[in-house]
Amino acid sequence: MRTALAGWGLAAVILLAGCAADRESAPMRLPMGFIPNVQYAPFYVAVERGYYADEGLEIEFDYSFETNGVKLVGAGELPFALVSGEQVLLARAQGLPVVYVMAWFQDFPIAIAAPEASDIRAPEDLAGKRIGIPLLEGASYIGFRALLHAAGMQEQDTVLDTIGFNQVETLVAGQEEAVVVYANNEPLQLEARGHPVNLIRVADYVSLASNGLLTNEATLSENPDLVRSMVRATLRGIEATIADPSAAFEICKQYVEGLDQLSAADQALQRRILDASIEFWKTDRPGYSDPQAWQNMQELLLGMGLLVEPLDLAAAFSNEYLP
Amino acid sequence: MQAVQPMKRGRVRLGRWLPALSALVALIGWEGVARASGLPQFILPPPSAVVARLSRAILDGSLLGHTLVTLSEVLAGLALGVSVASLLGYALAKSSTLERLLSPYVVASQAIPIIAIAPLLVIWFGPGRISKVLICGLIVFFPVLVNTVVGVRSVPRELYELMRSLRATRSQVFLKLEAPAAMPVLLGGLKIGATLSVIGAVVGEFVGADQGLGFLINLGDGLYDTPLVFVGVLTLIGMALALFGLVAALERRLLAWRTVEV
Repeated sequence: MRTALAGWGLAAVILLAGCAADRESAPMRLPMGFIPNVQYAPFYVAVERGYYADEGLEIEFDYSFETNGVKLVGAGELPFALVSGEQVLLARAQGLPVVYVMAWFQDFPIAIAAPEASDIRAPEDLAGKRIGIPLLEGASYIGFRALLHAAGMQEQDTVLDTIGFNQVETLVAGQEEAVVVYANNEPLQLEARGHPVNLIRVADYVSLASNGLLTNEATLSENPDLVRSMVRATLRGIEATIADPSAAFEICKQYVEGLDQLSAADQALQRRILDASIEFWKTDRPGYSDPQAWQNMQELLLGMGLLVEPLDLAAAFSNEYLP
Repeated sequence: MQAVQPMKRGRVRLGRWLPALSALVALIGWEGVARASGLPQFILPPPSAVVARLSRAILDGSLLGHTLVTLSEVLAGLALGVSVASLLGYALAKSSTLERLLSPYVVASQAIPIIAIAPLLVIWFGPGRISKVLICGLIVFFPVLVNTVVGVRSVPRELYELMRSLRATRSQVFLKLEAPAAMPVLLGGLKIGATLSVIGAVVGEFVGADQGLGFLINLGDGLYDTPLVFVGVLTLIGMALALFGLVAALERRLLAWRTVEV
């Protein structure tokens, strides 16, 4: 019901948007897909250091659902959004003219975490185990299925529980033998609570298109310079964050409400989450999207039945707008 | 006088068709807006696309499976919520001490933002159906409880005195006086609760589920299959209407003894 209401709301927003007289002068909303978080440090840095302003861009962060961001970009109402790779193919399969133009995460960040003392250390070890997953959709589910695929297993070979975003609590409580997590987040929280884990990372088994910058075909054809500017400024933000994580963390305090009010231990945990995220952003070819990662993603989605037929991958992503 | 009768019959016939007529007008309006706005289907699907998706979901059996899961959660939640609320409501109506003691908690139960505690219920009671049933029960609880209290307290004092004069036992007072007298108001609460219980089940399924209409809606959203989202929502509306109708039918049967003054 939430999503249906959101759908009607989205339609209303789009219908009313045409009436907005000052639309051109308004800041550009950037759907982030998640709540304010230290993982968005590159974007906060790019604003604070004036990288977007240097390109003539004024950005306003929008922390609504990832799928809403994709729909708004697909409808041509917003030029950009941050999304995970699988969303691009799922959206294009439904006719949304969206194109991925800049890779941010170089590896798919999903992993399976199990208590350090357990015998779960590789995908094969998941057979017969009780595994908690936030939702049966999105990056978590895609990553989970990719690991099963790597071990030649099916979903039925495990006992899968849909637990919402309660991975830390359920693993600590012993309700699940393993949980599907973001490798740069929950494992650090578990460790901080005295529960170190074994991690089975998707990225160690298969390369999948991960989080990055999305635009639409209309923006690419009508305003390619805008896309280049956005990509350039964002890459500068990523580069600056990698170069000086401490300064980036300080900037995050202006954007992540309550971050500076946390205890020293919790601030240290957030800093470790930033550092772990940075590891996913490091690359010799900033922004570059690996065609094989898209091919792998498509094959996975086809195997899962989420895509009915292969898509034209050349139209789904582009490296042409990188500096 | 005779000329008035056909007119009255005509109005009755028209009244019978009014809901269907208004639904048809709404559908035509929706189709018109969807087409005229030029919005793509993933933003606002026209009813024709929703009907096509509905028939696919019916034919492949997925809609029935998800509907039965949600319905079972709703019925269990209703049974739980109504049982606890009517028992507690009766006790509160009869004891002002108990009312003073428990009222803050009862009101607080209504103020709980269900969506905020739903993840906790999943942690406490596991990812199965129990958490969904509890959320349903919690949503049903308050309207039924309030109506039970109001219903029991609405019994005129003179009737109690009459029962006492007839040397009625406590159970006779309950069965012959309080229960029938409170029933109209209690059923009013049940109508509200039955409708709300559907929302409760979906909130639970949104937080973590692999079956049910809430899951189906989430799935449709995740796959940008907006017509599927509408299929889920419309099925939920249908379920709420059916439950409302069921309670209304129960009301007609249980309250048939009432004479209606015109």
